[in-house]
Amino acid sequence: MLIRAFLSHYQRHPFQLAALMLMIVLATMLWTGVTVLTDQARSSLAQSEETVAARAHIVRTDGQPVGVEDFVRLRKTGVCVAPWLEVKRPAPEGQVIGVDPMSMACFGRSAPIQDAASLDGMPFMDIGDALRVSQEGYDSQLYLIAPRDDIELPQGYALRAFSLAPPTGELADSFLLNLDALSLLVLLITGLLIRSVYRLGLVQREASFELLYRFGVLPRRIRQLLVLELVVLTAVGVPPGLWLGASLAEALGTGFGQALGSLFDLTLYAESFGSLPWRAAVVMVALVLTVCLLEWVFPQPRQPAMVSAYARLGGGALLLAGALGVVLATELVWVFAGTALVFAGVGLLTPPLLAAVEERRSVRSGATASVADPLRRWRARELSVMFRQLALPVVALQFSIAAVLAVHALVTTFESTFEQWLGQRLAADFYIEVPQGGDSATAARRLNALEGLGTWHLVAHGKAQVRPEEAGTGADPLTADLMALTPITDLVSDWALLSSAERPWRELASGAVMVNEQLARRHDVEVGSPLELTIAGTRMRTNVVGIYADYGRPVAEVLLHADTLPAAFTPRSESFSVNKGELSRDVIHDRLADTWGAPDLQVRDNASIRELASQIFDQTFLLTRAISALTLVLAAVALLIMIWVFFTTRVWYFRLLGVWGLQGHQVRRQLRLLSVRLTLTITAAALPLGIWLTWVLVNRINPLAFGWSLPMDLYPVFWLELGLMAGAAGLLVAHLMRRQLERDANGERP
Amino acid sequence: MAVVVGLSALGAGLSGCDDPSGESGFAGLAESGGQAEASAFLQPKPGTRLVFPDDWGPHPQHRIEWWYFTANLTTPEGRPLGVQWTQFRQALQPRPAAKAPPSPATWPMDSAWMAHGAISFNGDHWFEEKVARGDIGHAGASADPFRVWLDDWELAPISESDAWHLQVQGDNWDYDLTLSNTGNITAHGDGGFSAKSSSGEGSMYFSLAHLNVTGTVTVAGRTQAVSGKGWFDREWSSQFLKAGQQGWDWFGLHLEDGQKLMAFRLREGDSTFSSGSWVNADGDVESLQEDDLTLSPTAWKESARGRVPVVWQLRVSGRGVDLRVKASPGEHWNAGLVSYWESPVAVSGSHDGKGYMELTGYADQAP
Repeated sequence: MLIRAFLSHYQRHPFQLAALMLMIVLATMLWTGVTVLTDQARSSLAQSEETVAARAHIVRTDGQPVGVEDFVRLRKTGVCVAPWLEVKRPAPEGQVIGVDPMSMACFGRSAPIQDAASLDGMPFMDIGDALRVSQEGYDSQLYLIAPRDDIELPQGYALRAFSLAPPTGELADSFLLNLDALSLLVLLITGLLIRSVYRLGLVQREASFELLYRFGVLPRRIRQLLVLELVVLTAVGVPPGLWLGASLAEALGTGFGQALGSLFDLTLYAESFGSLPWRAAVVMVALVLTVCLLEWVFPQPRQPAMVSAYARLGGGALLLAGALGVVLATELVWVFAGTALVFAGVGLLTPPLLAAVEERRSVRSGATASVADPLRRWRARELSVMFRQLALPVVALQFSIAAVLAVHALVTTFESTFEQWLGQRLAADFYIEVPQGGDSATAARRLNALEGLGTWHLVAHGKAQVRPEEAGTGADPLTADLMALTPITDLVSDWALLSSAERPWRELASGAVMVNEQLARRHDVEVGSPLELTIAGTRMRTNVVGIYADYGRPVAEVLLHADTLPAAFTPRSESFSVNKGELSRDVIHDRLADTWGAPDLQVRDNASIRELASQIFDQTFLLTRAISALTLVLAAVALLIMIWVFFTTRVWYFRLLGVWGLQGHQVRRQLRLLSVRLTLTITAAALPLGIWLTWVLVNRINPLAFGWSLPMDLYPVFWLELGLMAGAAGLLVAHLMRRQLERDANGERP
Repeated sequence: MAVVVGLSALGAGLSGCDDPSGESGFAGLAESGGQAEASAFLQPKPGTRLVFPDDWGPHPQHRIEWWYFTANLTTPEGRPLGVQWTQFRQALQPRPAAKAPPSPATWPMDSAWMAHGAISFNGDHWFEEKVARGDIGHAGASADPFRVWLDDWELAPISESDAWHLQVQGDNWDYDLTLSNTGNITAHGDGGFSAKSSSGEGSMYFSLAHLNVTGTVTVAGRTQAVSGKGWFDREWSSQFLKAGQQGWDWFGLHLEDGQKLMAFRLREGDSTFSSGSWVNADGDVESLQEDDLTLSPTAWKESARGRVPVVWQLRVSGRGVDLRVKASPGEHWNAGLVSYWESPVAVSGSHDGKGYMELTGYADQAP
């Protein structure tokens, strides 16, 4: 009897029960989906990184190309080596790489291919199949790759550097850190969404609880029943959400090469889909119980704290403190703390501010004769009331839209940065490493003598001791990688520098240096800063004329002109980057091979490398787009449900419009205007928060974590898309409300 | 007799490659009943006979085969030390005897090889696994001279002697052993055809049960001279287990009086199929049928990878043989593509002795 009376509210308002259940299901689905996808992105990125990571390849010292017999000979002496057959098939099919996953077993976790399912020709396939492709008339090159460059080899073989692309370690770490931060935000949003719907129901049930109390049911008993009800709702709502989230993530993730039954990582993705959702379930159950039962730990005043008189003051203080914390923080933890404070401040400030704005509009509408429109005034008042009474869901929606904005900006920025950076680093047509003992100066002269050759430059790599002069002579110098260029051509002069002097490349040619962002940030070096360099024991003073982005590596780097190097400098390695111009690759190869007496000279095709690296990382970008799409879709659904719930509670008031004499179509128009304005206002309120969050991710968290920042780009077209989505949600809600008004002619006052 | 499960994993992995038979490796073979007959693989049958020296080498017309060696050794301090080495071949398509192997230059994928090496000592177990595609040259076997190799692991004859040399290197462990055969070849079952079910599935199976083993073992940072007794198995088939058989318990025992016992049982639900061979000290072999043998687990161990029977009672009726077979202390999982148990055992009861025990199908999950 007691339970029937307790649940009678849901009998009268089954939609509220359905909305709460739906919200638990959707929130679980969102969190599970994001968790699984983030984890998959992590795996995918790690594998992408492993695939393009720097390794070594083994060459014959007699200059002959390596073949299967060399592979067998090396394996039989215990050397961990695997074949890697590059087949230069032109677009649209593109280059393929033939590998033998079995021989990569000894590479362990650093194997470029972790599962047989990846051998789908995008770009990897079994080496036997790749060989058959090459026999269709395409050039191919066999490499014997090794996991490290410090292994012992039998006589007749030597190790050479081998990589598919510039290292991307820090760029990837940064991306994952930001994804983690956004996952936490998603958790916060889901908590707010659930709490808002739950509180909405509680407020409406207060009268029935009061009645039960008068009939002698103790408040403690009512609380126990509420807890029981919540546990049942969670038990019913979480499993389908879990299943939906995992299924959705799996469906979104199927394009990324994962599959069960793979050869070397039989359970890698099975774990992703098998164990992760259960972790997500535990988190979600804890979240639902916490956000809903918070009520009993901290009893809420009848007037929600968010719209109380103190809210603006408290919110303003939190916002200010948080913003200052984020800007001034020198440690990552304080940036996160500051961000949390800003979110709390925004959460407290948004509802009263929006309510006040609408209130002011209402007053102005009444006071100004020219705009005196009772309906406009009614709408403004109605919105003001909604912002006050429904503060929590409004903030939840604001946060979720802000998160969507940040995810989109992050993914798009990361992707474009990666593409630009790859393009910058692989600007030339070919990359040719000077073989051990090869004379680069003679080669340079012979390249100069080649008519029709495009631009080229020679890069010498080494180490330098660097001491910013501002650090004082007592400061310890730091060891930086050294990159010495000659000549300066458009291969580098088109680089997008983060900051530079007026003619940086000309100044570089005259003895100045450029530094990477890591060095600049960590040691407060700016354009114009004097720098003391020690190269091969020779000390020199110079100044910085440019700072360039270098996302892949954690180490400091100095770039200078080769003429600036002291005579004692011996490069660790040298390489040519060459644009072929009117000549063929073979002509260039033959000229250099002849110069160095190295018939096996390997010419790496930068376009293929770039295409390959992009192809490999595209899988990760596809995943992150899936996260963004998932968040967007669920935010839209949440938006729809929430507003529908809001409006359902206001049916009685809307019916008054008819009592005032408005025709049906006029009432519908008012509903449309009201709901669209509500959704657009929340979206507009989310915009600055989303932009700010993006700024924090790329300009505060990244520099503190890694010493460099991603460029901050804004995407107004996406804002417009979000606005249209919000408007559409508003129209849909108005349509639903119209149907409800028509169907339920006796709607009661809540 | 050796590890079935390892091959099944290798087969499962290879199923992602070109497998014209359309079956998922060894496990798929077992489940698909009469597929082997329908395919071009040869299937041993009762009446099939051993042929030497050919049967030392690979059988490209058969789907699966392995070379297996275990040894119960003793260190200079008298401590027991066990070693195991197994090399498997899994064919993806049969190759008729008359057909030449594919050229290594084409990177063929007609077969794959896998090798396992392990040491059990002082309650610890070291294991390593290697895999290779076949017909390239870095893994293979030959009959005459008899050699089996995968990368730098190799079993090869010692020139101008009847002994073999086995070299295996793991991560921080290795062994380098000389194997001298002092007995005859033991053909199991019906002249070498060893039934694996009452419905006729089986394999060709022979052993060298009288091996003297000497050499060195490096483990836990120490190289020690070792000596003891060894056991070598050769087995091949195309259809080994019947559908529904879940795992396998195998024993190869050296008894103090010079006699040898090979016994195994295949588990299928609540029922089992048992078989074995009794080898007299003079080398005579008596095939043991299901009614002659009782293999019963008497104590179980809760291990990291599953509950596993570590003490057994083995009885051979009519011979007064009632043995208590107990695994060495510690966990002896060969945690490769699929985990299985491979441990030295101590024998007591009607006879004393030592040997090796192999248990498959007990691991909770693949590693």
